[in-house]
Amino acid sequence: MARLMTIKNLFSLFLIVWFAYGVWEARNYAFLAKIFPFYISLVLLVFAVISIVIEVRRIVDRADDLHDAASGSDLSVDWDMPMTVVWRRFGTYVGIILGVYVFIYLIGYPLTMSLFILLFYRLIAKAKWVAALVAGCAGFGFLALASHLLGMDWPEGLLALPWPLG
Amino acid sequence: MEAFYQSLNVVLNPSHLMLLVGGVVLGLCVGILPGLGGIVGMTILLPVIYGMDPHNAFALLIGMVAVIPTSDTFPSVMMGIPGSSASQATIMDGYPLARKGEAARALGSAFTASLIGGLIGATVLTLIIPIARPLVLAFGSPELFMLAVLGMSMVGVLSGNQPIKGIIGAGIGLMLGAIGDAPAVTEYRYTFGIDYLMDGVSLVIVGLGLFAFPEIIDLLIKGRPISETAELGKGWLDGVKDTIRHKFIVLRCSIIGVVIGFIPGLGGSVVDWIAYGHIIQTSKDRENFGKGDIRGVIAPESANNAKEGGGLIPTFLFGIPGSGSMAVFLGGLLILGIQPGPSMVTENVDLLYTAIWSLALANIIGAGLALVLSKPITKLTVVPFSYLAPFMILIITFACYQATYSWGDLIALLLVGILGWLMKQFGWPRPAALIGFVLAGNLEQYLFISVQRYGLDWLTRPGVLIMVVIIVASLSASIVYQKKLKTAGQSAVEDIAKK
Repeated sequence: MARLMTIKNLFSLFLIVWFAYGVWEARNYAFLAKIFPFYISLVLLVFAVISIVIEVRRIVDRADDLHDAASGSDLSVDWDMPMTVVWRRFGTYVGIILGVYVFIYLIGYPLTMSLFILLFYRLIAKAKWVAALVAGCAGFGFLALASHLLGMDWPEGLLALPWPLG
Repeated sequence: MEAFYQSLNVVLNPSHLMLLVGGVVLGLCVGILPGLGGIVGMTILLPVIYGMDPHNAFALLIGMVAVIPTSDTFPSVMMGIPGSSASQATIMDGYPLARKGEAARALGSAFTASLIGGLIGATVLTLIIPIARPLVLAFGSPELFMLAVLGMSMVGVLSGNQPIKGIIGAGIGLMLGAIGDAPAVTEYRYTFGIDYLMDGVSLVIVGLGLFAFPEIIDLLIKGRPISETAELGKGWLDGVKDTIRHKFIVLRCSIIGVVIGFIPGLGGSVVDWIAYGHIIQTSKDRENFGKGDIRGVIAPESANNAKEGGGLIPTFLFGIPGSGSMAVFLGGLLILGIQPGPSMVTENVDLLYTAIWSLALANIIGAGLALVLSKPITKLTVVPFSYLAPFMILIITFACYQATYSWGDLIALLLVGILGWLMKQFGWPRPAALIGFVLAGNLEQYLFISVQRYGLDWLTRPGVLIMVVIIVASLSASIVYQKKLKTAGQSAVEDIAKK
């Protein structure tokens, strides 16, 4: 519990650092470029400090739930598993996406994404090989079609492959 | 009036109709996916509309945004997961109804209510244009600046139990929006010397990063099939009849929807809870709310469709979005080269009417398709999310790469995505951030024009003073009545939970 409180407070601290940097960086800008970011970040800095004081006081009073209920305008989070699992899985999926990026860099976008869909179906969704193959091909087909019809582009890899492979 | 009928011709032209239906079908699909609402749907369309004729682009965008409050009812009723933030309140009674085997009745009444609500929204929008015209033309930069500030303060007021988080949330958006070249002079801000950031971060990346990425990750983490059953049960007609029987609830909640959608800032995002709270407070027999009272479905569903009509008013006429999806719509207008504001009621009035007709038509087509296709659509909800996720990752990475065709797009998507996920976990409202991001450019422009043109005198203009009074009044009212406001819906909900 206590550790997760820290992660939450770390995020609030990150905001304070961000806004403080905003003020610091803006102080030297030309007047017309300065007025907006300087005063906005100054006001935000004050609010962020007030906000973290409220947070810390709640922890001291032990009145705080692990998560704040989301405000009415956003979806609220409701986990039915321990937060450590949530964080571990979050890390895993971000890692997977980073891995995908590396492969895009190496072999280009269409091939990477088709393989990604195929492997994701096979390994994470536990689909049959046939379904995984069909899904991979469908992804590839969608990319070829969209780039052809809508004139969209994708990142090329180090390995220069002929269209629509790379 | 002539423009009004001329626009009907434009709307009924086949290519326009096809795009409208395309938008509607896309909207139905996006609404069904849990958590993904109008914001994500419109953001994905932004790269597509580059260079399109504005009338056609409107068909696509409005077709989509009009039906999302209709189709997002599916996940809310079938799975108890909100299809988007606009249908969170529908879960309260829609999900219990589905568990009693009356999903069809809940959906039937929801679609009928959505349809009527959407049409009322479009009608009000039509009526308000001639009335708002002189007001719009009287607004100069200082007034527009203050209106944007009012919008931002409403974000705080409507952010429920923690107004300060709403304001900082909007601030996060403003700070993201300030990255890149300054509008008035040659100065690159907050770029860390990275070339990619010199043009600023694109709306596509902020929209998908803040909203699509966290939802995909969260659903993957949960890792279960979206819905356990695809049983609809019976009672379609009963649902339609329920809505007709409660026509005054539909009417009242639609008006609530329009009025709240009209409030610049965050109105549109909380409208479902306000309508739900209203219906509980005004009903004598409340013991069934939360256990499957059909009125608890009708109220939020009529309000959340009506709000799109209301939300288009400040978006078009003042360039201040009324909700998260309207913020993206505003971004779309700018991509099409349309500057919202006074020109909308003078030279671009035909576009305005095209939007209204499209909105009305999309609501009719959307409700019709949702009714007819509900069986296959419901089958979609039992598809495990891990089958959809890789395709959604494909679509968002592909769409965001269209922003500048550079690696920076993909990296920025991941970073903004992580920021969005953390914001969601820790209860910092993301719609507020999106509105802040979209408004940042305008806000700054209005500010420096005001300062340049009037010095400090702009602060004493009557319009500005009136707006200051409204801002101070609404902020202090929200502090005084904070508990009441926050809990328009939630306190009633808590009461139910206690029982």
